[in-house]
This record gives sequence, structure tokens and C-alpha cells, in this order.
Amino acid sequence: MKVEELLSQSGEWLKGTGPESDVVISSRVRLARNLHRFPFLTVATPQVRAEVEKFVRPRLEEGKLPRKLVYWSLGELSAVERALLVERHLISKEHEKAEGDRGVAVGADEAISIMVNEEDHLRLQVIRSGLQLDEAYDEIDRMDTALEGSLNFAFSPQFGYLTACPTNVGTGLRISVMMHLPAAALSKQMEKVLQSLQRLNYTVRGFYGEGTQPLGDFYQVSNQITMGKSEHDIISELKKVIPEILKFERSWRHKLLEDEPRKLEDRVWRAYGILKHARRITSEEATDLLSALRLGLTLNVITGIPHKVLNELFIFTQPAHLQKIERKILDPEERDAVRAEFIRRRLEGL
Amino acid sequence: MNCEKCHKNHATIHLTAIENGMKKEAHLCDECARQTGVHLKFNFSISDLLGGLMEPPKTPKVNQVRCPECGITYSEFKTKARLGCANDYEVFRSELLRLLEKIHGSTQHAGKTPHTVDAQVRKENELIRLKRDLESVVKSEDFEKAAEIRDRIKTIELELNR
Repeated sequence: MKVEELLSQSGEWLKGTGPESDVVISSRVRLARNLHRFPFLTVATPQVRAEVEKFVRPRLEEGKLPRKLVYWSLGELSAVERALLVERHLISKEHEKAEGDRGVAVGADEAISIMVNEEDHLRLQVIRSGLQLDEAYDEIDRMDTALEGSLNFAFSPQFGYLTACPTNVGTGLRISVMMHLPAAALSKQMEKVLQSLQRLNYTVRGFYGEGTQPLGDFYQVSNQITMGKSEHDIISELKKVIPEILKFERSWRHKLLEDEPRKLEDRVWRAYGILKHARRITSEEATDLLSALRLGLTLNVITGIPHKVLNELFIFTQPAHLQKIERKILDPEERDAVRAEFIRRRLEGL
Repeated sequence: MNCEKCHKNHATIHLTAIENGMKKEAHLCDECARQTGVHLKFNFSISDLLGGLMEPPKTPKVNQVRCPECGITYSEFKTKARLGCANDYEVFRSELLRLLEKIHGSTQHAGKTPHTVDAQVRKENELIRLKRDLESVVKSEDFEKAAEIRDRIKTIELELNR
């Protein structure tokens, strides 16, 4: 499979079919693993990086794993293709920008990906649509156990899985739940949510992870503690926290609908009008308007737009996607025109 | 409180610095802070956070301890917030224990153990996990579950002593 072929499909997790999908976009789990007897990437020379990739790659491509994976060496991809992988949530921004031998192995439905030579030798991730923490963990656990068959991971009985950064050591497990919280944000309630989550040792980040701004009212909630708790405990604690946020967001959505139905309707339909007719639109504006449209759909203020179409629009209107679709490098102004056209076409005839 | 420098504007920047064990404070307005070259940070990275959590080691010598395998010193770890190899966990053990306690509230792994690790270690880890579970079920007064866990702990302890 080539990176380009990603354009003819979209990730399983974008289908919008999972549980609680009115609020939860996706559940993502990640495991950090390092190889025994190889220095971490912090000090790895270009030769060591090459050795790690050469050692790991055939083991990721072999047929015995629970999922068939396709491996891309990032050095062999164009800058736009690497950016496209970030937009798809298959690699991190750091992995895109890094130098030296590195790559990613991806499952056909994009539900699983394994970064090689990111901050740790291996970063496994599984993304599922909606709130599916157990399912996502089971899948990543199976892959991790299968990889243990051919790779010896750095592990200590006291410290657990050894990672480059002490914030990941132990289980190496980071769970992130991506949520759409437009009503809490619109009602200026996010500060409250953020503060309580921080007090419980959860971090909140934007759409593309570490260091990104919350765009379009999407927030990613993740566990901070990776040591001293079992994987199961980390998951069950998060499973108690998330429903509270869902309840909160849903109450505010209904309050908006009851208190100021005209204002909400206006906001949603205005967003639809602009998306349907604009000739130029920036990525930020599109994300904001799509976010309003998504809110309208979940409250039946507007109907007839499948969740999948909307979710895909968030991803396909990102810069690298547009450039790959048009098969050329576009400057920001050209992108705004192409983006507007792309959205108009997708919303036509719905 | 007014700015210590211009004595006109309201002081909005409050700085505390520890120099040679002495606490120094400064209270400045935005404008004077900028002129003094105090840069405000709106981007925070993990190394800032870790740097803040890491206590100055009791003896400065610890900073110079070098891992024989990967060659990084403790002070290099502090700036990068990333370790150089698995061996660092042993070389900087006592400093890391303090750091892990602050980050995770724990210094003992209680999760999955790879099946490549020998059976003895796996059992020891399971024992730690079970004892932790026992504490929490006793707290929630689930005595049936507690009895179950206690039995399992006994079995493993027997196996380990054999």
C-alpha cells in the first residue's frame, strides 16, 4: 500500500459509529517500548537508529502478527506525505519533523500503527471510534504480546517497561479519549472541566496531541500516571471519569437548546450556509464551522448529514490532504480555495 | 502592589529566585519586566515540568555521575528530560526514585510483565499487584473479593518459597 492510497479511504475510527459518538470521537491507546541492549534514541547515533530500524522492520512486516502491517520508512516519503500521516493521526508531529532513520507500520484500516524510532524505539497505538477503551487496549495488548515473541523489550521488575522519559515508565500506557465539547466551551465551562481533570492527574490537549491548541472544541483527555497501577486500573479509572464529562457536556447542550434555541439554530445553520457556499475558507474557520455543524447534528437542529462525512471533512480539509488530493504543492491562499470547493462538493446532494 | 521599578503601574509579574540558598523576590509591571529582559513563557514543555520537579541533588557530585553504557550524566538528563539507556535507571536510581514518586506517586511497576521475563519475576510482580488490589477491595469493603485475593497471594507466596 502507498501513502497516496489513504486518500481513497478513511480510518475506521472516523466512522462515528462507536459508543457515545455524540461526544466521543475516538479512543486511543499507546504503548511505549524500547529494545533491550540498544541505547535510547536520546543518544542514538545515526548508525544505531539504522540498526534499530533494520532489526525491527522485518519483524513488523512478518505475517505472524495479529494484524498485517505495511511499513513506510519516513525518509522515503515526501514532506507532504509525512504531513498527511500526521493529519491521519498515524504518526506524531515530532516523528514527522525528526531526522534520521525512522518509520511507521500501519494496519490497513488505520486502527493500528507502530512508530519506529520516535522518542522510544517503538510506539504502538490503536485508535477506535467512540468510547471503546477495553477493545482498544485488548487489541494493542495482543499486538504487544505478539511482538514480544521476536523482540526483547527493556524491562525491569521494579520500574516496568523502561522508557526514555520517566513520565512514561512502568506500563508505558497512555490512553487518550478525544471528545467534542462545544456546549461546555460555548457556555464557558471548560476551565472548570480542565481544572478538575488536572486535579485527578489527567492532561487535556488539542486535536493533534502534545503542544497543540484545542481546535474546534476538540479535547483529548489522557492519563498522566503510568506507574504503580495496572493497565486495567488505569482504564477503569478513566472509565469512571469520562461518563461524568459526557453527562456535563450533554446537559449543557440541552440547556443551550432550551434556553436559546434561536441562537443555537442560527449558529448551526449559519455554519452550514457558509460551508455550503464559501469560495475560500481557512483551516481554522472550517474547523470552527464544522464543529458547530456537528453540534447541530447531535441535537437534531439539522439533519441528513452522516457523521462519517462530517468527521472525514475535519481530516480531509487539512493542508497535506488537500495538496495530496490536488497532486501539487499549494500556497495557503490556493489551499483556502481548494478547501472551500472540497467542502461544497461533499455537502452537495446530501 | 505597585511595580518595584517604575512605582507607577500595578505589578503583574511576581518572580521568586533562589540564589545561593537565599530567596529573592521581584514584583514588576509588564512593561518593566519586558525591559528587564524577563521573558514570559506561554509554551511549556515536559522538560520544564520535570526540571521543576527535580530537586537539586544533595551533593552536586550527583550531577556529574556518568552512565558507563550511554555516557550521559545526571545533569544532562535534567536538561533533556530524557534518559540515554535502560541502564540509567540503575545508575541514577536514587534520584529517579524521588522523581518517580513525584510524577506517579509510586516507584513500583504494577502492570504487565513480558512473558520473556522469567517466571519468578513475573510472580513477584503479580504479588505486588495483588497486595495493592487487596488494599483497595478492603477499603471498598468487598470482603468476598478480598478473600479471593488473599488465597491467591498465599498460593503465590508458597510457590515463591518453594
